[in-house]
Amino acid sequence: MTDTATSTDATSSIVSPRRRWWDRYSSTSPITLTILALILGIVIGAIIIMVTSAPVLNAWRHSFHHVGSFPSTLKITFDNVAAAYRAMITGSIVDPTLLFHSISTGHGWDVTMTPISETLTYATPLIIASIGVGIAFQTGIFNIGANGQAISGGIAGTAVGSMIHVPMIIHLPLTLLAGIAGGAVCGLVPGLLKAYTGAHEVIVTLMFNYVVNAFLIYVLTSTALQLPGQANDISRNFDASAILDPIFGTKSGLRVSYGIFVAAAVVVFAIWFLKRSSLGFDFRVTGANPNAARASGINPKFIIIALFVVSGGLAGLAGVVQAASTTHYIDGGFLVGSAGIGFTAITIALLGRLQPMGIVWGSLLFAALGVGGRSMQAATGIPLDLATIIQSIVVLFVASPVLIKEIFHLRKGAQSFQMATKGWSS
Amino acid sequence: MTAIADVFPSVVPVPEVREPGEGRRRIIGALTIVLGLFIIFVFGFGSVSGSHSVVTFNPINTSSGAPWGLSDLTVLTRWWNVVLGLIALAVGVETWLRRPAGALARFGVGGVMFFLALLLWSVRQPGPAPIGNINLTSVLVNSSAVIMVLIYGSLSGVLCERSGVVNIAIEGQFIGGAVAGAMVDSVTNSFWLAALVGILVGGLVGWLLALLAVRYVADQIIVGVVIVTLMGSISSYLNIQVLAPYPNLNIGNQPSNVAIPLLYKIPVIGPTLFDENMFFYVAIALVALISFGLFRTRWGLRVRSVGEHPKAAESVGISVARVRYTTVILGGAVAGLGGVAFIATQGQFQPGITSGYGYIALAAMIFGKWKPSGAVVASIIFGLSAYMVQNLQNSNVPISTEFLTMFPYLVTIAVVAGLIGRVRPPAADGVPYKRD
Repeated sequence: MTDTATSTDATSSIVSPRRRWWDRYSSTSPITLTILALILGIVIGAIIIMVTSAPVLNAWRHSFHHVGSFPSTLKITFDNVAAAYRAMITGSIVDPTLLFHSISTGHGWDVTMTPISETLTYATPLIIASIGVGIAFQTGIFNIGANGQAISGGIAGTAVGSMIHVPMIIHLPLTLLAGIAGGAVCGLVPGLLKAYTGAHEVIVTLMFNYVVNAFLIYVLTSTALQLPGQANDISRNFDASAILDPIFGTKSGLRVSYGIFVAAAVVVFAIWFLKRSSLGFDFRVTGANPNAARASGINPKFIIIALFVVSGGLAGLAGVVQAASTTHYIDGGFLVGSAGIGFTAITIALLGRLQPMGIVWGSLLFAALGVGGRSMQAATGIPLDLATIIQSIVVLFVASPVLIKEIFHLRKGAQSFQMATKGWSS
Repeated sequence: MTAIADVFPSVVPVPEVREPGEGRRRIIGALTIVLGLFIIFVFGFGSVSGSHSVVTFNPINTSSGAPWGLSDLTVLTRWWNVVLGLIALAVGVETWLRRPAGALARFGVGGVMFFLALLLWSVRQPGPAPIGNINLTSVLVNSSAVIMVLIYGSLSGVLCERSGVVNIAIEGQFIGGAVAGAMVDSVTNSFWLAALVGILVGGLVGWLLALLAVRYVADQIIVGVVIVTLMGSISSYLNIQVLAPYPNLNIGNQPSNVAIPLLYKIPVIGPTLFDENMFFYVAIALVALISFGLFRTRWGLRVRSVGEHPKAAESVGISVARVRYTTVILGGAVAGLGGVAFIATQGQFQPGITSGYGYIALAAMIFGKWKPSGAVVASIIFGLSAYMVQNLQNSNVPISTEFLTMFPYLVTIAVVAGLIGRVRPPAADGVPYKRD
């Protein structure tokens, strides 16, 4: 029964029927469901703020004893939640007062634009990695190892970026290519294992994340890559010719870099690849119906391997872009733990329903939540982790559209996005 | 197929085939030979002639009196390691030539030799290590904490996956149990209450997984991954908002050990197995209980039938959804208890303290072929190597511990890929069931 569900989904995405523009906003369209999921996430986040922040709790305790203070209690509750979300928005998009000041005086644009620049900086590697994960998903492959592949790409990119000395016109592309190659190699192994032994990609890529983490520490403490004169796990610095410079120059303080153009190129590539290229078509056919794909002469082994190379390569590119545009070196904490982008990329790919443009919006949203969460923590003391909580809740809802439809009493009929599921063995 | 052939041997002729897995056994033999050669030439001839290692057996501190003492053992590092290597080599050659059915066990022998040789090699004197002896008892006692946590996690995985639901959220249940356990124990000063609340919280996380994966047919792996992220961020949020301002909610008590009379006196084994905290004994009991429950009771048969062939189970009147619900909640509860057990050995809760043990437990479950007993063996292997990595990092030994860190993960990959031994998950594992 999963097969039929998958094939109808796939047919509709391969040959989309003629639709009017307002259909996109009808109550059962995926966009509506995503927005509803976001609203639910924000509401649950607000509840979490209410039940955990001390001023709100104190006000409520007070109002139990003094019934008259109930309206002020409500106001305190509302103010706390509003302050948190206001800080989140002004910290990730733009602060209206600063914007007004900049418009009226013509000065201070650097400060005004910092939030949006930060959001774009955070979004850049997320867009690239999520598109890689999304391409794999479309073929029914769950690449959970994007983080390991990104680290691997970062290592390869740092090696080329810091140890080879050639002019920028060669050096920068070479560094990015090295990142792609590093990620692709790291993706190739699970691909080969999956194709030839049937090893489930989830467990293999998961284990690979740990292997790559250990490998990262190993290379950072080896003489080849370690910063000379250092005992810590820190790499050499990128040459100036291998760095993705800030677009507005280093003086402005705006960190948004030329990496954003790399991400844009990846988006264009992904759209072309999935919609126009023959390999991309083979990918989608294999994902929609492996039997039909095999019958039409597509070699499933080749598809799986190629898929992991493409997906891993993009993750690797994300890793090297991250290193080349922000830190210009890598250390033992590079993309490790909470700084990792692999699991975020999985959730973004889902949020964007695996489509490149959807993923762009998803990445911007998640980056804004992350950056905004930081300024919320600074302004109100509410931990940054609230942003991650909201992200996870949104994705949980997006992953189970049936649940949202039930909550909001929506029509069940129309097709909606749902991942094709399958077990360990296949 | 085989079942029919067993009952009606004349109806279904059993074709004469080469026994499956012969090639794999050769590979295992080759790997064991490589292991043996490595021991001989790196750990054996890699140590200076005349260097010696001291192995001690007496625990440094115990809660309830020392076991019967054993005198220290001083050995010549080079020749002992050569002998250990030769044993591994001999076993490997035998496996290569005879391709016996117990090939994996022979590889295990090679692994034990490797482990012992590594211990001897790392403390050799004159050598780089500051401490010239290895305390076998404390190695085993200290690694038993991680082993215990992995047992809880992999048992949770076994339960869920036998019913056909992939529980990748073990890590999330660990985190939930650990936070709740730390807080409840700090307030009530009772690990029994902490365990109870940990079970409830773990069960709640399991329920969330079951709700989304069984009722709303969402992708189990995605839901699991996101639940881990969710629980991780909730724990980190709570840590800043609640635990940091109220430190008396996170005291970090540790339960005292309960020694089993007489048995704890046995050297090495006594302190490891019979002088532990209550969570350790509960873990052992759970292994037996779940083994029995899954393979010897009506309930277990139902769970396994739902995991293997839900449609057939439904046709004989078993409610697939209900069985999966209860089993996943039960599995979550076991992992939640594991989280409490973990925090009981670690003390205070910090975000990220579970450091991926949930995923390692998942690997241990696969390594153990979806069986409780196998999960225990795998947990021991993984736990020992995790402890060794930590220990070698601390003891200043010039060995790249990074490659040791990789070892369990690489072995898991090899197992999943079928290079050594074949694993077969329950047939309907990870496939949501929808009634037609």
